[in-house]
Amino acid sequence: MTSMRITKRRTAGVLGAILALGAAAAVVFMTAGGASGAGSQTGTATALPRSQTFYMSGNQWSPNNDLNPAKNWDYITGLVGFAYETPFRYDPLKDKFTPWLASAGKWKSKSTYVMTVRKGVKWSDGKALTAKDFIFTLSTLKIPTHAQNPLWRDTGLKSVAAKGNTVVFKFGANPGYQQFDFYRYNVAIVPRHVFARFGKTDLASGNLKQPIVGTGPYLYQSGIGTQTQTVVWKKNPNWWATKALGLRVAPKYVVDIKNGTNAAALANFVSGNIDLFNNFAPKSAIRGSAKTYFSKAPYHLGANTTWLFPNTTRKPLDDKQFRRALAYSINMSQIIDKAYQGLVEKASPTGLLPIWKKWVNPSLVKKYGFSYNQAKAKSILAAAGYRDRNGDGYVENKDGSKIDLEIICPNGWSDWMTSIQIIASSAKAAGIKITPAFPEYNTLVDDRGHARYDLLLGNDRQYSNTPWTYYQYIYRLPILSNQTSMNYERYENAKAWNLTKGLDKIPSSNVKAYRSQMAKLQTMFMQDLPAIPLWYNGMWAMFNTKHWTGWPAAGSDRQFTPSTWRNYWQMTSIDMLTHLRPA
Amino acid sequence: MAHYLARKVVIYLLTFYVAVTIDWAIPRFMPGDPVEGLLSRMQAQPGSQEELTGYYTKAFGFDVPIWKQYLNFWAALFHGDLGPSVANFPTPVWELIRGALPYTLALLVPAVLLSFWAGNKVGALAARRKVLDNTALPVSYVLTATPQMWLGIVLAWVFATVLGVLPVSGAYDLSLQPTWSWEFVRSFLEHWILPFSALFLVAFGGWAIGMRNMIIYELEADYSNYLASLGAPTKLVRRYAYRNALLPQITGLALALGAVVAGAIVVEIVFSYPGLGSLTLSAIQNRDYFLIQGIFLFLIVGVLLANFIIDIAYVFIDPRTRIGMQGGA
Repeated sequence: MTSMRITKRRTAGVLGAILALGAAAAVVFMTAGGASGAGSQTGTATALPRSQTFYMSGNQWSPNNDLNPAKNWDYITGLVGFAYETPFRYDPLKDKFTPWLASAGKWKSKSTYVMTVRKGVKWSDGKALTAKDFIFTLSTLKIPTHAQNPLWRDTGLKSVAAKGNTVVFKFGANPGYQQFDFYRYNVAIVPRHVFARFGKTDLASGNLKQPIVGTGPYLYQSGIGTQTQTVVWKKNPNWWATKALGLRVAPKYVVDIKNGTNAAALANFVSGNIDLFNNFAPKSAIRGSAKTYFSKAPYHLGANTTWLFPNTTRKPLDDKQFRRALAYSINMSQIIDKAYQGLVEKASPTGLLPIWKKWVNPSLVKKYGFSYNQAKAKSILAAAGYRDRNGDGYVENKDGSKIDLEIICPNGWSDWMTSIQIIASSAKAAGIKITPAFPEYNTLVDDRGHARYDLLLGNDRQYSNTPWTYYQYIYRLPILSNQTSMNYERYENAKAWNLTKGLDKIPSSNVKAYRSQMAKLQTMFMQDLPAIPLWYNGMWAMFNTKHWTGWPAAGSDRQFTPSTWRNYWQMTSIDMLTHLRPA
Repeated sequence: MAHYLARKVVIYLLTFYVAVTIDWAIPRFMPGDPVEGLLSRMQAQPGSQEELTGYYTKAFGFDVPIWKQYLNFWAALFHGDLGPSVANFPTPVWELIRGALPYTLALLVPAVLLSFWAGNKVGALAARRKVLDNTALPVSYVLTATPQMWLGIVLAWVFATVLGVLPVSGAYDLSLQPTWSWEFVRSFLEHWILPFSALFLVAFGGWAIGMRNMIIYELEADYSNYLASLGAPTKLVRRYAYRNALLPQITGLALALGAVVAGAIVVEIVFSYPGLGSLTLSAIQNRDYFLIQGIFLFLIVGVLLANFIIDIAYVFIDPRTRIGMQGGA
């Protein structure tokens, strides 16, 4: 009996030891894993003070270990904006450029642009920011595999040179002004003395392990690692903009939370652990201390247009009359109510975002635009020769062959899945047979790139300084064997593409020429409808007012982009942080 | 003994070879090209497309014939190289797995061992004891029939949302970073309880039922009756029954490991627990073929290794195996 008891005790002891060892080993691994991520790791031994900390979530999906500002689909949230900054910032809601690391910038002639490097800006290691840092950064963009290489490839830029405190950009004839403006606020200037040791391959696609030496409002504190949940940024007491522009970011700490599942993230927001939530959330979540940019529908700013792309290499989608009929048949308000509970807004028939409203010509929209109208859809079909010859309730092709289209969206994207079902059913009412299908995302990307589809949704283009980014998305030529990021509909219209290229070459200051070019593009777009604009996808942003107030809001003096998404910090998301107040 | 071991090793190596080959093949036969997926995510400008495609095709080793890719894969594998992550290029897959592994092990190892231990104990106690049998048995049936994911959601809802006593997701508080401090360890344990419980409870139910049935069977065996008729105390009889009943349970443990690992993956997703499960989810969401391949490879090796250990342990636990081997050898 005694020996039995000993055995028993031994078993319990062994189990206890395994547990203790396991827990200890786990913690050791985790701390070691976190520390190996970066040289300047200083772990927070104690919790951050809630009243001085800003928690945000909605941008980071990939591991928190990419420190390459060139990879704007992967780098850690805040790398550009908090640490590295851009020569200019761009306010999309006011269409205004703000000098930032460049204190001024001007076209000296039609093909020479001069940027003045701001004086008194220091890198966080104490070295001064100079024109050499600008030149170094711009030269890295010459690497063909660098994501921002089109600055050299597509704008006509020939050379950059430092001249004292300035950077001189020399272009060939007819520079791409619109594209260049885009790069003015999207190229993050990096410190030459840190980045010079990296090779070309690393600069274009590496993760660039480095102590983060930036110029911006925050210093990296901790969290770099492959499996960390958060990245912590601490206020930079020596931020140049405090002295130069009187700007102060309110939160002492900013914690960016990596996305897990949407449900878990939403639960965290509801329980008050997250201050800014940039994921989609149902309308029911907007209550109590949870606020949004607009106090009523659509609650969120429209960040991008959702388009219906027809494969124009297939019949009858190659016929603009058929596409027009399809556009008229779509019951948009049903989509807005059922798929989005009113959280989105119907898109302009031009497809242009609300921020470009001043370029939209209302008389053209009245003349060429479309809206939900089944009778009109039917009459367009009839006039173009699409009739129901066999009495099955659906129209046939002009040659009598059956029309049986498929509309696709990625499986699991529930709002889009509901939307394409509504599109299919409203098209049916007009006599067009469309069947929804939900392939896996990678299958869809593959089929989209190689024109193996009939109809699909896309919303890849975000806010920018210029509708050129939108027209390029629709019209870009030549068509490649694989269309990975634009002109999914394979619409070949040299005239439209030339108009788009022409728009790029008009400086924004030439308002008259710009407006007239925009009018031509709008007319052509609405007449041909190579893609059908549907609704504006929201810049999802819910604010928790428990710990911070002074959030961006329509109609206030705080009309800023309330988003942690990449490329928004150098728009006006930083202004959000300088205007917040502790509650 | 040597013969037995050699035979086992051969079987395990063969299983490993087949499993790894399937693991290598699956992402390659999945629709969608990872390079195209990456370019689409980058929103690459068409002007740079050719260069980028060439660069990434080479970086992922897709520029050689498929049979060569297969050989390269094995060569790299023996150097411990699982390739670069597609979505998080160029982070090595191994680095991502290493970061996630401690979290999964911290859930999995205690859940497997404790549920096995506690489930068997409770099952043994419940057998032929009316009150316990009428309570523990139905509870165990319900537990073992519950999907871990659903139990996880229920636990999170009750303890985190309704009662607010435990955190709803993550592995530690958002205001902390992994460090050696009591605050972190406490926070880690608080976040660990719910996902651990979801795994533990489901497995516990299964073991308890198994053991209860086995004990009843053993108590009816001749040796039990003989021992009882000699006047041995019930406790002693039951102890012998327990030892015999444990053997099939250990075999069951080896078989159940795969299911437990799968359970851990879904539980981690429910709780956004940053282990291999969450990594698997993000790998699938990001079409990260190499990462998916690496994680599965890791799980294959883990399950095979655990099975192997159980096989060896069996030799020591079951005297019949030893004797059989000596006779056979």
